[in-house]
Amino acid sequence: MRSSSYFALPARALLVLALTAVAVPTAHAADAPAPSLAAKPYMGWSSWSMQSSKYPGLNPDGDYSYLTEANVLKQTDAMAAKLKKYGYEYVNIDAGWWMDKAWKSGFDQYGRQKPDPVRFPHGMKAVADRIHAKGLKAGIYLPAGLEKGAYGDGKTPIWNADGCTTADVVYDDLRTTNGWDSAYKLDFAKPCTSKYIDSQAQLIAGWGYDFLKLDGVGPGSGKSGDQYDNVADVAAWNRAITGTGRTVHLELSWSLDIGHAADWKKYSQGWRVDTDVECYCNTLVSWENSVDDRWDDTPAWTRHAGPGGWNDLDSLDVGNGQMDGLTKAERQSYATLWAIAKSPLYTGDDLTRLDSYGLSLLTNREVIGLNQGPNPPAHPVTPSDPQQVWAAKNPDGTYTVALFNLADAPAAVTADWATLGFTGKASVRDLWNHENLGTYKNTVTQALPAHGSRLFTVAPHGTALAFAGYEAESSANTLGGNASVADCSACSDGKKVGNLYLGGTLTFRDVVVAKAGTYQIKVSYISGDARSVDVSANGGGATRHKLPATGDWGTVSSVYVPVTLKAGANTITFDSGSGYAPDIDRIDVPKS
Amino acid sequence: MTPAPSRRGVLALTAALAALPTFTATAAPRRPADAPALDADPRHRLRWQAPADEHSMIEQGLPVGNGRLGALASNDPGREVLLVTDATLWTGGLNDTLDADGQFPYGRQDFGSFTLLARLTVDIPDHDLSAVSGYRRTLDLAQGVNETSYVRSGVTYRRQIFASRPDDVIVLHFDQSGEGRYTGSITLEGTHGEEPAVSFGAALPNGLRYGAAIAAYGSGGSVTVEGTHIGFTGCRELTVVLSGGTNYTPDAAAHFRDPSLDPQQLARTKVRTAARHSANTLLRTHTADHHALFGQWDVSLGTSSAEQRSLDTWERLRARARDGVPDPELEAQYLQFGRYLMIAGSRGSLPLGLQGLWLDGNDPDWMGDYHTDINIQMNYWAADRTGLPQCFDTLTDYCVAQLPSWTDLTRRLFNDPRNRYRNSTGKNAGWTVAISTNPFGGGGWWWHPAGNAWLCNSLWEHYEFTASRTHLEKIYPLLKGACEFWEARLLTTTLPGISREVLIADSDWSPEHGPLDAKGITYAQELVWTLFGNYCAAAAELRKDAEFAATIAGLRKRLHLPQVSPTTGWLEEWMSPDNLGETTHRHLSPLVGLFPGDRIRPDGSTPADIVEGATALLTARGMESFGWANAWRGLCWARLKNADKAYQLVVNNLRPSTGGSNGTAFNLFDIYQVEQGRGIFQIDANLGTPAAMIEMLLYSRPGHLELLPALPDAWAASGSLTGAHARGGFVVDLRWRDGKPTEARIRSAGGRTTTVAYAGSSRTVTLKPGATVTLKGFDR
Repeated sequence: MRSSSYFALPARALLVLALTAVAVPTAHAADAPAPSLAAKPYMGWSSWSMQSSKYPGLNPDGDYSYLTEANVLKQTDAMAAKLKKYGYEYVNIDAGWWMDKAWKSGFDQYGRQKPDPVRFPHGMKAVADRIHAKGLKAGIYLPAGLEKGAYGDGKTPIWNADGCTTADVVYDDLRTTNGWDSAYKLDFAKPCTSKYIDSQAQLIAGWGYDFLKLDGVGPGSGKSGDQYDNVADVAAWNRAITGTGRTVHLELSWSLDIGHAADWKKYSQGWRVDTDVECYCNTLVSWENSVDDRWDDTPAWTRHAGPGGWNDLDSLDVGNGQMDGLTKAERQSYATLWAIAKSPLYTGDDLTRLDSYGLSLLTNREVIGLNQGPNPPAHPVTPSDPQQVWAAKNPDGTYTVALFNLADAPAAVTADWATLGFTGKASVRDLWNHENLGTYKNTVTQALPAHGSRLFTVAPHGTALAFAGYEAESSANTLGGNASVADCSACSDGKKVGNLYLGGTLTFRDVVVAKAGTYQIKVSYISGDARSVDVSANGGGATRHKLPATGDWGTVSSVYVPVTLKAGANTITFDSGSGYAPDIDRIDVPKS
Repeated sequence: MTPAPSRRGVLALTAALAALPTFTATAAPRRPADAPALDADPRHRLRWQAPADEHSMIEQGLPVGNGRLGALASNDPGREVLLVTDATLWTGGLNDTLDADGQFPYGRQDFGSFTLLARLTVDIPDHDLSAVSGYRRTLDLAQGVNETSYVRSGVTYRRQIFASRPDDVIVLHFDQSGEGRYTGSITLEGTHGEEPAVSFGAALPNGLRYGAAIAAYGSGGSVTVEGTHIGFTGCRELTVVLSGGTNYTPDAAAHFRDPSLDPQQLARTKVRTAARHSANTLLRTHTADHHALFGQWDVSLGTSSAEQRSLDTWERLRARARDGVPDPELEAQYLQFGRYLMIAGSRGSLPLGLQGLWLDGNDPDWMGDYHTDINIQMNYWAADRTGLPQCFDTLTDYCVAQLPSWTDLTRRLFNDPRNRYRNSTGKNAGWTVAISTNPFGGGGWWWHPAGNAWLCNSLWEHYEFTASRTHLEKIYPLLKGACEFWEARLLTTTLPGISREVLIADSDWSPEHGPLDAKGITYAQELVWTLFGNYCAAAAELRKDAEFAATIAGLRKRLHLPQVSPTTGWLEEWMSPDNLGETTHRHLSPLVGLFPGDRIRPDGSTPADIVEGATALLTARGMESFGWANAWRGLCWARLKNADKAYQLVVNNLRPSTGGSNGTAFNLFDIYQVEQGRGIFQIDANLGTPAAMIEMLLYSRPGHLELLPALPDAWAASGSLTGAHARGGFVVDLRWRDGKPTEARIRSAGGRTTTVAYAGSSRTVTLKPGATVTLKGFDR
């Protein structure tokens, strides 16, 4: 795709670029050994989107009744025929394989989930074998904790654990856990408890499964507090899987707590960062409920993704417009975000009914290449409008640049090379349309439909942009309201300005530029949750910018906002207005 | 009546016989012989980088129109959508009843509503917006052409959309730069339940017939009718022609219908006739026609920066609001956009209502009707001021055609006991209107006694601008009938502290504000005072009805005129010292004597306390209101020579509208916030704001011109105004630099003598009709 002449920056400029363009994530260090599992985001199919939908005909025998051996095998065949050659690999059975059509659970004599004989008349191993026979991998699903129906008065024996019964693996007060409180919380202080996890792991490994989605995991899944802390469960699963001797990918769900990102990374290969993408309505998904949430919720997680563990944005249901309930533009944007965020790419569509546009989205080799290649996940660089630009700097010196229009009407979206750290010309390739659009100077602007997107690879031919940095805590600045300087170990020079709330202001003084014009200034900030701030120059009209969450109050992130400056000295003010604004570490202003 | 008609009588008779339907067969248009294509002047080119969402057409669709037949265009590469209107496609009817509370019914079936004629869709599936690059679209105000271009797989595709008056069709022309091809389909649908078809015709429940038709032709591929739509395959070029209309005819005696007219058949004839010509021929014919009007007038308000010029129209609006930096070329474009709407929306058919010629559905707020208590008047304040006197004629023709019905309704229903505004004198004569009027002689909402005076005053001002005797003769019966109405209505009363009796208006509602029943409201007193003066001048000019004119002159002398409240310090609105309404109410009804009236002048000729009271009231009304209300405020501040405030109100109207907020939409339409989160288009501010901008540059009344009465700093560096009509019958070209006039050319359009003033000094100019004088040396 890219010739060696694609990138023609002088070496010195390249160095400056790498130093200045810190807002754009750069490739992970190449010397770390590749992990054996999840070296790349996994690709495949999951049953839940169709199970959860009220789309006519999908679940004729009641809610979630889509899940059957016949349907799984039908999808397996379709995936092998249409998608396998593009890298799709996992066929994942979601919730309900041990429930009857009335959603009543079945358990074996050891309190383990037992396949429902109507859904899976030949058992789970037979399905895995059939999947493997197509050269694909098989995935299965379990909820966290000991399901209430498995408890059996506490007297149910635990498999391969002499003397252990279900009463010996849970708390004496039978406290519940997981996102639905559908299980008793496991007490890992008790010696029998890990043996229960081992028994479940042995069961699915014995059947030949290659993937487990552990669901309802907390902190997360809408729950917090000790009762819902399932870190020990996840750790036990990690050990239990190792103990089986089988390679099994462990994926966690849902809305995992970012405060425990280190745990999820340590014990699993992926974690759902958000709630279900499905709408539980007459289609598989809908834009507002809740595909569009991902643009707000993903940025805080970006830095946690990498080989061995990825941010899971949930199913990619873009294969059939009518069933998906999305416009073509929405489907492309959905696929774009998943690809550039390095989310696993598993679709929940009916693979036997992909429409031609859906097939083209799911099988675009350039886009899949971004997701599966060495490119780091993209991060929003101008995220404060419905018109957003996300970018990542690729190991080969190019940039992945995605334009999004999240508004409900068409709009022009501009990517400014300054937000990538350079100025001048760059060649632009349109990945979705497989087209070189030519050379663009300083910016590229495209008209995007409502909820639309474009996905480009931008190869710079220009020069690095020089920035001048201004620290928020500088004594030259003016603080208003409650704003104050605070220590911040992650910040440049170890300090920031915080307490920007209810009228708090921070005014940078003597911001000097040579020429009047609109500049993309880089704002380095900290914001545990998404917050807005009014930015103005020289006392003029302010523009409100919503900055994405950085995930916690110890992490600095940066975005670009446009500010109109005059030649010479300027002031730039950050004003909380009547709300709460992020803490500000520093700004970097292009010198030209 | 003399038995043998005079020459004038013959002319009047001819005019009556010539009440042709607005959609009618026309002679073959004159084609400009070898007219070169006009160069696109970037000053007059609005530019956007995104198409419209077809569900947000009123904010994002671009308007085209030939004065009668209009459309909003989406300009989406893969799916061009046109929402097509004919100004006369109205539901409803005469509506000659009153509800129990004395109001005219005001529903979509009784009073009626302006509705869409058709929806045209051109689908080009391969040109999905997500698959094209370099998208842009423009609206060339000078040529009247909407153009879209984009690149798909290396080929540049271009489409032009225009509404031609000479050919009476809307044209869509698609071409491309190289080896590109168009494949897709064209669908025409009615909006009143018709199935898609290449032509359709039907009648509304009120009996109004309507119809529309399309034709398409291409090169290099095939264009074929495929059942209900037209398919095209592999075309290098494609032209789509649309026409349509109704059998509306401006004749009350015929109940506003021409039963012999088949609109569907006529539309088919028109598209077939137009389709004999190349798209280029149709384009040249159209641009020559459009530019003949557009080019009659020009303005420059100064020079914008290169950075401002580099932005598209929406970005410029946003930057203007965000940075607070004047963008004189954008501000001039906004003004010219108002003129564009006037040319596109007000020729040869009905006048511009609340939304002009443009709709996005069949349920416009307030029916898209004619509101006679500010909005229709404001729609025409810019016509003469911006060199488009021809576009004023739709208003005149409308009033003339409605007059028999308005007179009849007044006779039958004004003194109805249910009407709270009936004449307590028991007398009844002449005519007036309701607050809302429709095109079928009917009214909606309350009776509006002073509405007749305001309409007449607008018609009279057009005479002052143009000195057209033909126009004066047309409007004379309206003025006379309105005077007869007021002669019957005025009450005699005595005011405390004043010995003589005065005349006051009977019970009335100062528009949409305060008590429903107040006698002697300032609004009516001022309008009737002006009406009476205008009538006397008209009668004298036409040498008519000397005795009646003398009576009216006598009444005028006895009219009470408003006082300043000792309580509020404001000019009174209700003959009461108290503030009986909302301080910041949108209407400026009590200031109608300041603008558009001319009684209150800050030049020493009006008692100082009246000027101060008017200024205090205007100040209290504030600077933040709906678009039309800001425009009116701006005009009043211009009259008071307060450039800063007048300009700020213009700037306030230029604020980008988001989420339905008051301000200017993506397509430059003015948005009126009906409620939180919902705004609608109202065209009045698009026309009233330009009027305010001109009033800041040139004030006129018969016999007096004032140059740059309220020139704001933002425009002071340099500028010019060319072809501006001035009251008194003059046309003015004006240049200025550093805040002062450098040259003024005054041409007589019938006017004889006028003073020309600037900054306190003045000189007198006397000209023969057609003659010109150039004045310089104002800066000495």
